[in-house]
Amino acid sequence: MPTFVHSALLWALPVVGLPVLIHLINLMRHRRVRWAAMEFLLASQRKNRTWVFLKQLLLLLLRMAVLAAAVLMVARPRMPERLGGLLRTGRTHHLVLLDDSFSMSDRWAHTSAWDEAKGVVRRVGAAAVEEAWPQRFTLLRFSRAAVSDSARPDLLAERVDRQFLERLDGDLDRMEVSQSAAGPLAALETIVQLVADAADEQSMVYLVSDFRSRDWDEPGQLKEALSRLSDLGARLHLIRCVHTARDNLAIARLAPGRGIRAADVPLRMEVTVRNFGRRPARRVTVLVEADGSPQPAVEIEQIEPGGSVTQSFSVRFATAGQHHVAARLEIDPVAADNFRYAVVEVPAEQRVLLVDGDPGAAGARYLQAALDPGGPVSTGVRPRIVGPRYLSLHPLQAFDTIYLLDVPHLEPAAVEALESFVASGGGLAIFLGPRSDPQLFNEQLYRRGRGLMPVPVAGPRDLLVDRLRKAPDLEVTDHPIFHVLAGRRNSFVAMVNVERYFAVAEQWRPEADPAVRVIARLRNGAPLAVEKPFGQGRVVAFVTTAAPEWNNWARGNPSFVVAMLEMQAYLAGPPPADTSQLVGTPLQVTLDPARYAPPVRLLPPDGTQTGTIQAQPDPDGLLKASFAGTDTSGIYRVELSPKGASPSSRSYAVNVDPSEGDLAMADPQTLAARLRGVRYEWIDAAEFRYGRQDYAARHLGHVLLYALVVLLVGEQLLARSASYHPAARAASLAHGGAR
Amino acid sequence: MPASKPFLHPEAIRRISRMELRARHVVEGFMAGMHRSPYFGHSVEFREHRQYTWGDDLRNVDWKVWAKQDRLYVKRYEEETNLRATLLVDVSASMQYGSGAMSKYEYAATIAVSLAYLILRQHDAVGCVAFDDRVRMAVPQRTRRNHLDSIIQALEVSRPANKTQLDGVFHLVAESYPRRGLVILVSDLLAPRDGLFRGIRLLRSRGHDVMVFHLLDDEELDFPFSGPTRFEDLEAPAALSCNPRALRQGYLAALQGYLAEVRHGCVRHQTDYALVRTSQPLDAVLAAYLSNRQGRHRHS
Repeated sequence: MPTFVHSALLWALPVVGLPVLIHLINLMRHRRVRWAAMEFLLASQRKNRTWVFLKQLLLLLLRMAVLAAAVLMVARPRMPERLGGLLRTGRTHHLVLLDDSFSMSDRWAHTSAWDEAKGVVRRVGAAAVEEAWPQRFTLLRFSRAAVSDSARPDLLAERVDRQFLERLDGDLDRMEVSQSAAGPLAALETIVQLVADAADEQSMVYLVSDFRSRDWDEPGQLKEALSRLSDLGARLHLIRCVHTARDNLAIARLAPGRGIRAADVPLRMEVTVRNFGRRPARRVTVLVEADGSPQPAVEIEQIEPGGSVTQSFSVRFATAGQHHVAARLEIDPVAADNFRYAVVEVPAEQRVLLVDGDPGAAGARYLQAALDPGGPVSTGVRPRIVGPRYLSLHPLQAFDTIYLLDVPHLEPAAVEALESFVASGGGLAIFLGPRSDPQLFNEQLYRRGRGLMPVPVAGPRDLLVDRLRKAPDLEVTDHPIFHVLAGRRNSFVAMVNVERYFAVAEQWRPEADPAVRVIARLRNGAPLAVEKPFGQGRVVAFVTTAAPEWNNWARGNPSFVVAMLEMQAYLAGPPPADTSQLVGTPLQVTLDPARYAPPVRLLPPDGTQTGTIQAQPDPDGLLKASFAGTDTSGIYRVELSPKGASPSSRSYAVNVDPSEGDLAMADPQTLAARLRGVRYEWIDAAEFRYGRQDYAARHLGHVLLYALVVLLVGEQLLARSASYHPAARAASLAHGGAR
Repeated sequence: MPASKPFLHPEAIRRISRMELRARHVVEGFMAGMHRSPYFGHSVEFREHRQYTWGDDLRNVDWKVWAKQDRLYVKRYEEETNLRATLLVDVSASMQYGSGAMSKYEYAATIAVSLAYLILRQHDAVGCVAFDDRVRMAVPQRTRRNHLDSIIQALEVSRPANKTQLDGVFHLVAESYPRRGLVILVSDLLAPRDGLFRGIRLLRSRGHDVMVFHLLDDEELDFPFSGPTRFEDLEAPAALSCNPRALRQGYLAALQGYLAEVRHGCVRHQTDYALVRTSQPLDAVLAAYLSNRQGRHRHS
């Protein structure tokens, strides 16, 4: 039996008797005509009486049917769906997957993708409220589904009653677009489970999203999830909230660059801006703050479409410790990716170990003077001069860089300690000299390419004097160490004279070890400086002396100071990776139980207070705490409880995934081809209307509408056939008869 | 228009007076002028001479004038014919109907009076019979000009009532006017066709020339009614409530069959027949009819 949404309107059904009433009234109100030619009228009446009566009766019934159809259509009758209503319970479960990734904050005119999406959810909810059949409603945002431990829908199988819409409106009003880059996969997989668990109800799945290329160009897993939903009998609606892709810029990276990191020393930072638009971005301004203080803005002349540009800038922190750097772009369609944060660990100084084989430490002193000249200008480097035995007797991890200067001999323990030091990220510079033993270097340090020495050496050689001085003795490459000195006419480099050096063994071929790179050569083409990565660290070897014994570089030539400082910055370790976390990722805090007590407390960037939690010991004996509430980008601080000291804090930068700022749209046709085999409906948010005919309680509104149209057409045709319509004036009979 | 002559339309008379009414067949009486009559030489009074034209009968040439002046003149007489016309005007109740300016009765009376005026102006004799199911009023045939007043008076007195019964009236006319003449019937003919055709046949058998002006109202011909309507018979207590549009097609079909039957019956009995809408201008109807009749007579 059908039911009615507006059953109260059924009281209007007696209106179907209106045609009968009108007929009776007409019988009483007919016009009187005193008529002469009654004979023909009676003849016509006798001839057509039955047919006219039948047509009039049929017309009356048709008109009654028209009124009945109109009343029923307004009352909105529904029949149980064949399977959903008769074999099942007839319950409908609306599962709305709401994309709240920050690309949904895309704004245009007076609306945004997020507003459009919330409008769709409201429409689904409003229509579900009007259903008389049992309805349930689940709302799951992408960002909540992406939470690794367990998805937490905003509404889970909530019963739809008269108050539901009010609750839904309240929830939607409180919801804001997140800064997450969560895709639809996690939400779909969650929904698959819900649909599978409720096989007795008709599931309507609405995927409300902006359908960016990033998520849908390779929809392998998405297709699999959608297919599973489809196979489970769910009806899929893919509702797109954005029609056009707008240009957008995003800060893709903010991190320290290469260079000496020390207190009160200018720190080179790098910011990378990516242009996700289809047009070049010109004169892009990046506003910078360091520890909350505005810094000179960074100007980027032009960024090509789809490209990115990295620009360096310097900040100076007077004290050691953690410091915060923030970069910000001008306003564009998507705001979240216009901000980027970094936490920079700034040591008080960089500790350098100068190991000199010369008892007089001549080379070490020149290097010391270059790395730490003293005076009012600080380089942030603190060198220490020691002998070769120091390497095997003391731990090296306290140092950032070690220099081996004309070392004649190294104990195996020293070699092992050096290798361990470099492999763990330390930097090693080697200068050969008159005391250097080629056998030591080849057997202990080169070790057929497996040791620290980049190349095997043959023995000392003299560089023939070039009396015409047509070419400088030192030829540098475009390497970070020599970047400042590179150039055809650099007088300081041209002043360098090299008299003696260690030749590289003839059997060595650069092709044999592609990791080894010659970064400077002599006039005769022989390698002078060679670089090799080792583990996480680097080794740079000069086959001549640091002291002005075999060359005059260190003697009054400013380029020596520049090159050594650059080498120190280069060897001090690669710049720390962008250690910031993505929004939504739980913040993991690891503590040494010897130094810290378990209580820890998270301070989000918005300054809200959170409760203190207890860090829990893990199997490694460390204390670990996890904070899940990293929903917005910014600097998060974790308050720690050091044992025997005043409370301290540790900062973490949390940033958005810049790739979410790519606003390129998935093409519906291409997507349809990629989702071939999946039954779904593709709808634009602005055009989305609640498709009542799709639901378990199948509406007969359209059927009645069609029936009404057919009845009206039939009524008109029959009325015309029954001559109740004004006819064109009949041709005059008398015109023929008067002749 | 004087009250005494309500059916005499000056404009109609002006137009039709230019026409000459001619009998299509030989009628009884004098044929001294335009009318060929078997009765020569009766009551001929000289009126004027007229110059001879081609086609004039040589017998009318005044030879004396020719002898004196060597010119041919024909003699014209005061009375050229003794045409006897009888106007039969239907004054039954059905003639009351009229949707326009005039009812069928008024239109019929106007036709009758107009023709009477024309006939009298030609110095022919005209009589008038108003009838329904019987003769309500009869005016004998006279040639006097003031005879028109008698006809008008007779028609005014004969207000429409009762049913039409033609055969009895025709029989009475045939008996009352034994001399052959012109019988002009003006009626809506809403009566049994058998009686109509029997009457025409009787008159024709007595040598009368019969003309029928069949008057019908526009609404009777087109049946333009719509909406619930109750039709009440003018001549009988019958009534019919109906939707006229539902019956229109059948009505028009029956009417067409009736008109065809009447037309064929008239043709069969060599009777001139004209279906006239009461909305048509009266003078145009008479002028067209008389012109048509004259043309046919010349070719006969």
